[in-house]
Parts: sequence; C-alpha cells; structure tokens
Amino acid sequence: MRNWWLSLLVVLAAGAASFGVFYALNDDAELRRAARDGDAMAWLRAEFHLSDEQFAAIRQLHDDYALVCTRHCRAIINARQRQAPAGEIATLEQVCVDAMTEHFRRVASLMPAGEGERYLAIVLPRIANYEHVGAPSVQVTP
Amino acid sequence: MDHENSPDSLSRTLADWQVQPPRSPQFRAAVWARLEQVRRPADWPAFARAHARALGGALALALVIGAWVGREQARARVEADRALIASAYVHDMDARLMRLP
Repeated sequence: MRNWWLSLLVVLAAGAASFGVFYALNDDAELRRAARDGDAMAWLRAEFHLSDEQFAAIRQLHDDYALVCTRHCRAIINARQRQAPAGEIATLEQVCVDAMTEHFRRVASLMPAGEGERYLAIVLPRIANYEHVGAPSVQVTP
Repeated sequence: MDHENSPDSLSRTLADWQVQPPRSPQFRAAVWARLEQVRRPADWPAFARAHARALGGALALALVIGAWVGREQARARVEADRALIASAYVHDMDARLMRLP
C-alpha cells in the first residue's frame, strides 16, 4: 500500500513539475508587470518589441497627442456641461475618434514590420467599443 | 514374538532409511526469488519495475495534463493582462472618457 501512495506522489509531482515548466514557458512576465503597474508605455515596449529609437519616437508622439487629447476633452466636457445639442456633442466625439485613430496609425507606422498591424488590431476595436454609460472615468454631470 | 513388529526391527529400519530427494537445479534460485518477493514491498524501485507499464502510463498522462493546463493557464492570464492594459491605454487617450482637470 505504501508503494501505491508513493507512486501517486511521484505522478502528482511529475504533473506539477510539468505544469510549472509550461506555465513559465508561456508566461510573459514583462507584460504582466506592465499590467500590474498600469504602465502602458512599458507594455508597448515589451509587447511590440520596440527598439530604443522606436520607443523614444512613440513616446514623443504620445506626449504630443496628450495636448490634442486635452483640447478634445475640454471641448466635449464643455459641450456636455452646457447641455449642447446631441448633434454637436456627437460631432465633437467623432473629431476625438478620428484624431485617436490617426494617432494610433502613426504609432503603428513607427513599429517594427508586422507589429504595427497587430497593435492596430488590439487598439482600434477598443475605440469602437466605447460606451457612454458606465464608463469608469466619465464625468457627464451638467 | 513377531519379529517384524519388534522395536529392534523398527530401529534397524529407521537406521537404514535414507531420504534421497531428487536434486533440483533451480532450488537456490527459487529460494532467492522467494526472499526477493518478501523484501519487495519495502522497495519502491522494484515495485515500479514490477508495475512499469501502469506507472509509465500514469506518469505520461500526468506530464501531458500538467503541460496542457500550465500552458492554457499562462496564456489565459497573459491574455487577460493584455486586455486590461490595452483597454487602459486606449481609455487614457480617449477624450470622451476624460475628467476635467
């Protein structure tokens, strides 16, 4: 009986070791660290295998876009606060969407071959999936 | 007196009696085999050799299942983290979602 228990232990240990090895092989520690820290730039660098030059150029693009984004943000929030017509708000939001899409395409063009398409496949659907209701950081109070 | 049944006769018969069992060339080997059999339960390598097929199958199954589950769990976790950071990345640049400074 003791030998059967020992055999079971050996089998379980082999399974656990196999699990650990394959988990480690398929894990992406950099990506998980970036997600845990909320560091999107670290994620971009690791996920899309950016060189130092590419990373610096993309960071610059993001810094520049932050100013554009802030302008759009103010315009949309001002329109919501003064309860502008829905059409006007929709137009402002469309300007935001177009600018974001253009920005993401520029970022993609700076990435290594093949990675830009993968980047766009990840980010563009998330623009389209935007919803007003329930978004965590929306401030729509008039 | 019956000579056949006298004590002297019995003693003489016993004295003359010789057991001559047939020689078995496997005797020693059989004894050692029985000793091994008695010793075997405490000896796991011997137990494993005796059940090599069953144990090998169980080990192979455990390795395959462990590998598959490990791979799937790691990929699912990476995918979940990727979705999380990608959404945060896009939302951070989405003026529709921003608060007033």
